[in-house]
Amino acid sequence: MTATATRPAPPRAPRSKRRGASRQKREMWLLMLPAMVPVLLFSVGPLLYGIGLAFTDARNTRVHETSFVGLENFTRMLSDEQFWASFQIGAIWSVSVTVLQFLAALGLALLLNMNLRFRSVARVLAVVPWAMPPVVIGLMWKLVYHPDAGILNGLLGTDVNWLADFSLALPAIIVVGVWTGMPQTTVVLLAGLQNVPKELYEAGEVDGAGRWRRFWNITLPQLRPVIVAITSLDFVWNFNQFGLVYVLTQGGPGGRTRLPMLFAYEEAFRYRAAGYASMLGLAMAIVVLAVLGLYLWRQMREAK
Amino acid sequence: MRIKSALAAAAIVTLAAACGGGGGGEPAAPGEPVKLDFLSLAWQKESVAANKELVNEWNKAHPDIQVTYVQGSWDNVNDQLVTQFAGGTAPDVIHNDSPALAGFASDGYLLDLSAKLPAELKSDIPQSAWDTVTFTGGEGEQGVYGVPFLQESQVIIANKKLLDESGVRVPTPEEPWTWDEFSEAAKKMTKDGQYGVAWAMKSPVNKTLNLALNFGGTFFQTTDGNTTVKVGPEEREVLQRIHDQLYKDKSADPAALGQGTADPLPAFFQGKFAMLPTGVYLRQQVVEQAPDDFEWVTLPAPKGTSAQQGAVSQTLSIAQESEHPDEAMQFISFFLNAANQAKLAKGDWLLPASQKAAADPAMTTQENGWDVATASAKNLVVAPFLKVNGYDEWRSKVATPVLQEYFADKITLDEVAKRLVEEGNQVLERYHR
Repeated sequence: MTATATRPAPPRAPRSKRRGASRQKREMWLLMLPAMVPVLLFSVGPLLYGIGLAFTDARNTRVHETSFVGLENFTRMLSDEQFWASFQIGAIWSVSVTVLQFLAALGLALLLNMNLRFRSVARVLAVVPWAMPPVVIGLMWKLVYHPDAGILNGLLGTDVNWLADFSLALPAIIVVGVWTGMPQTTVVLLAGLQNVPKELYEAGEVDGAGRWRRFWNITLPQLRPVIVAITSLDFVWNFNQFGLVYVLTQGGPGGRTRLPMLFAYEEAFRYRAAGYASMLGLAMAIVVLAVLGLYLWRQMREAK
Repeated sequence: MRIKSALAAAAIVTLAAACGGGGGGEPAAPGEPVKLDFLSLAWQKESVAANKELVNEWNKAHPDIQVTYVQGSWDNVNDQLVTQFAGGTAPDVIHNDSPALAGFASDGYLLDLSAKLPAELKSDIPQSAWDTVTFTGGEGEQGVYGVPFLQESQVIIANKKLLDESGVRVPTPEEPWTWDEFSEAAKKMTKDGQYGVAWAMKSPVNKTLNLALNFGGTFFQTTDGNTTVKVGPEEREVLQRIHDQLYKDKSADPAALGQGTADPLPAFFQGKFAMLPTGVYLRQQVVEQAPDDFEWVTLPAPKGTSAQQGAVSQTLSIAQESEHPDEAMQFISFFLNAANQAKLAKGDWLLPASQKAAADPAMTTQENGWDVATASAKNLVVAPFLKVNGYDEWRSKVATPVLQEYFADKITLDEVAKRLVEEGNQVLERYHR
């Protein structure tokens, strides 16, 4: 390629170059096909289908004829107090889980980054929750929280039904949420920490910066891109969390832990309102994208 | 290159076609046995064994109709069925309970069995049980959408030692306690660190609604085909009495409130409370889990103005889209003949719908309270909520949180009435066609 660039162009060069480019493009498409087909077939297709459903009165029944209803589902959603209640719960859940997860994971990552004994063992242990499917985690924590046989009541000597108490259920599942998401956050932050150049710390030390100063002025700014990436991903994952809460409380007691995803699931699969549930799903996707967009945009701007 | 892209395109087309054409079974070729899927929700060990044994017995006797036992779970059966029905992959024979059938029947997913029922099966099961499975179908016609075979009634399981110590009159099926006597007895059994009664109210709605019939509380009224929620003096009786036990008499264990049906058992065995009002099937768990020296008795549920309780049945239904409905019906009539119903009832510790099965000596023995349990069957009437379109959504969106808050003493009975009616009618309105 470099050779052709320095040589005076032969008369046919522009054409063949274009042909080469188009050929290259075609090959690129061909190579992408195996990856694209499943994405189009199983992600984009259903997504478009779902968006379409959101504007119909589709029901999961055999005798119902679906018709286009425009924005009816949207207006129903706006006036649905239950949905807004669940949305509020979803907001509390995803923000607090993401923030707590980040703080706890950062602490753990800093710890694991130090020269401790058994560091490799500790690192492996920290990743263990990652290996468990959410349903298993849910069942396990259900046992921890069990009012009679649970170890939590055993340890504290209390007699609290954690998952059925109106004010304790949400904090209780938030703890589980934090625990569940910590491994991947820790691992990503740990990788970030290991990429911080040692020279910066040495220079800081020479300048007489204390431990806290070094953390605040070197570690955090250096970690920034990693932090932005992992917290935004965590936020999306947490907002869309379903399996864990479905197993732990099924949205109870009295809807106090009914996250928006659970709410939409119930609309679709319990009350059969597929059209309305699609609208809920669509609205949630838009909200997540909007929050995420705003957050990323601000972070990018500050980074500049 | 061009040939290669053409090949790739062809491969994709075939792949897509293969994915799209995956569903839908083919009719059995002549000479091949008919295949049926049977979704069973049996979960207690004895009951699963009884179910599997009956399926094996059938398969041996009928090489031309082979039934596959598919294990389901009560926790998510309705979610599962909604998806399977919509995807056209539902099992042929479906085990469920009557409250769920109303919805599936009006969705048009279940087959109307009224023309297919063999006379023997039809006459063996009393009309009151058939009423629990008669619903309006997808085209607005009345039909029978399942065969009821197990029924649940409410009883009180009591710690015999604490009951005897308190010196209260022991109720019998002929002469049950009135609610006043029941509350009085609970008070007498309450002393330091020990409560008279425990109400497991994690899912409070069906239980309260079934008991509310004691005082004629129906919770729903239908005028001109329009069903609305009603909470009058009749409906308030049982609610108020349970609430009083919790907060006025302080004779009910508050720790049990948030628990599911079987959760209070460990505390029951430790003698932390004396009586547990519950469904008859829980006796099985008591027998299985109780310490050896633990003595317990089954008492009939208290009565108000009557001893009536709302009845809900477990049922077998056939999917509308099943390709072999006649063979499925043959299987059901074998599976639910009197002798087999007795086996299933014994396995699940519930009451058989079949009259012949209920007369089986195993169903009337004093051991493990079978006599009291079987006697309670005569008080079962169709639960009024069974026929309410949209009941399920009313229950989980409105009634469950409202009753949970009420029993947690967070709202007053007047607020309960107001919310059940106002929010409830909003939900029911959507179901009026």
